[in-house]
Amino acid sequence: MKLAQRYNRANLITSFIILAITGVIYYIAIHFILTSNLDKDLVIEEREIEAYVKNYGILPAPGDFLHQKVTYKKLTSSQTVERNFSYDHFYNEDEKKNEPGRSLTTMVSLKGAGYQVTISKSRVESEDLVQLIFAITLAVTVLLLISLLLINRFLLQRIWSPFYSTLGMMKAFNITQKDEIKPNNTTIDEFNELNESAHAMAIRVRKDYHELKNFTDNASHEMMTPLAIINSKLDSLLQTDTFSVAQGAIIEDIYTAIGRLIKLNQSLLLLSKIENKLISDIQTIDFQELIKEKMIQFQELFEKNELILKQQLEPCKVNMSKYLADILLNNLFANAIRHNIYRGSISIILNSNMLLVENTGKTDQLNYKLFERFSKSAGSEGTGLGLAISKQICNLYGFEISYHYFENAHQFKVKF
Amino acid sequence: MKILVIEDEESLMQSIVSYLKGEGNICEMVNSYWNALEKINLYSYDCILLDLTLPGGDGLKILSELKKMNKQEGVLIISARHSLDDKLNGLEMGADDYLVKPFHLSELKARITAIVRRKSFSGSNVMSFNEISVNLLAMDVKVNDKSIILTKKEYDLLIYFISNQGKVITKNAIAEHLWGDEIDMSDDFDFIYTHIKNLRKKLIEAGAKDYIKSMYGVGYKLGNI
Repeated sequence: MKLAQRYNRANLITSFIILAITGVIYYIAIHFILTSNLDKDLVIEEREIEAYVKNYGILPAPGDFLHQKVTYKKLTSSQTVERNFSYDHFYNEDEKKNEPGRSLTTMVSLKGAGYQVTISKSRVESEDLVQLIFAITLAVTVLLLISLLLINRFLLQRIWSPFYSTLGMMKAFNITQKDEIKPNNTTIDEFNELNESAHAMAIRVRKDYHELKNFTDNASHEMMTPLAIINSKLDSLLQTDTFSVAQGAIIEDIYTAIGRLIKLNQSLLLLSKIENKLISDIQTIDFQELIKEKMIQFQELFEKNELILKQQLEPCKVNMSKYLADILLNNLFANAIRHNIYRGSISIILNSNMLLVENTGKTDQLNYKLFERFSKSAGSEGTGLGLAISKQICNLYGFEISYHYFENAHQFKVKF
Repeated sequence: MKILVIEDEESLMQSIVSYLKGEGNICEMVNSYWNALEKINLYSYDCILLDLTLPGGDGLKILSELKKMNKQEGVLIISARHSLDDKLNGLEMGADDYLVKPFHLSELKARITAIVRRKSFSGSNVMSFNEISVNLLAMDVKVNDKSIILTKKEYDLLIYFISNQGKVITKNAIAEHLWGDEIDMSDDFDFIYTHIKNLRKKLIEAGAKDYIKSMYGVGYKLGNI
């Protein structure tokens, strides 16, 4: 839920409740005042009747005058009447209709006889007044709520716009690119502070990133240089003299060991680069096309062991680094070839959301932790990092890589 | 060919220079940023090998100096930085190629040969070794003026051999050159043998001498008999 929405909701609910309570109190108060006014009029009339009876010894004429009616009723000697105000109906002679009324029932004594006096007044005017006041109050309430809603919507939107612009820049922030978090054009302190903090953080993060990058670069340089020297010295050594086959075999072994060391070092650096998300050349990769290229590249290796290759490729486009896509496929195919048997088979299935590489193998189901670093089968010539790298690549892009053993075949599945 | 090697690692530089020397090639060496700038200002070369991390400054700056001076030298960056950014930066700034350390000297020689050939305006698009000649534009191989047909791999292999004539090239280097170094098949290079065998056969059938020799089981050499 958005902040403005939540704020609006709270604001509207409280406003509504307060206005409703006020309305009720207002109604009761006005009603009370008007009723007591009416009652006062009724009491004045009662006094006048009493005074008249006292002075003249007769009852004044019953009358219907100015929305006020007086009626008498003779009581038997045993009857008495309690003085009492009540709500009832008032028949308006002029307009020939019943109106709400207020009556005072009381008793006067004239020459030993008791009379019940009922003085009635129409309440129609005061009722009208109450209704009018109620309507005005309601109208004001509605107006207030609507204006609150509108103010919240438009004003808040404008006030919050620097927040959203900072947020947008933070979302678009890419560590490998050079665009910065630009300052906001606002006078609101909180948003300025947020923007400044985001700006400072971006600079700090970028600095850390560059330091890390420099570190990996330096490590690579420092380790690769001695390896490069050994390699070049071996190349030079080969040109110097004639060697016997036995010497040649020794040199070849050194080459192989150096080759593995180089590969290992490169793999470790690659792993740390992927983990630190230092590879950013994301583009749309046509896997169908790429796999076909790899098949040509690996052709000799398939032929060497007379492997039977089955392909079932459907179009599949994935957004990732070309460099890593190459490495992922190389690793999966190289494994499928390296651990295969003579005249075994490899099948590659690709569809829009999955790649499956399946191969026959020298061993049964593999139980060790395949995707961990330096875990490899006995006698494997690999670095033991191929699948760890593949796993890291998959993690980086949110793919899922898994291993299954199914009908005497090892399956590696990548879900895009 | 006149080649300038800018490299701060003394022993690596010695290996490179001793491999490249001979056959009319002249090599000069410098080991720091300022010496390199001085050499570039004074002389012209066919090709410059440029290390990126040098004492005194970034190798990429030398590249931009070269471009400022409007020099036409071919530049091959040799760097231990296996980072995509550096590679792209270098190539964008006008380097002709980028080779990551460690590399095989035969690979280096092949790349230099390719750069110099591309850069030379005299338009020598023909590489030759005795009676074998390769027209690089037409991708046509002739033995005694008679065309022979090679596969893509055999053709690449022949050019690699001619670029490194007289040198022993290891099987490892050949495999990396033809298949790329991402294919990690360090255990077994037997599959190279088929291609070399076929290439030899085709050359001999067309009347060439058997120039390609297996050397101590480590590699092969194309050389005069």
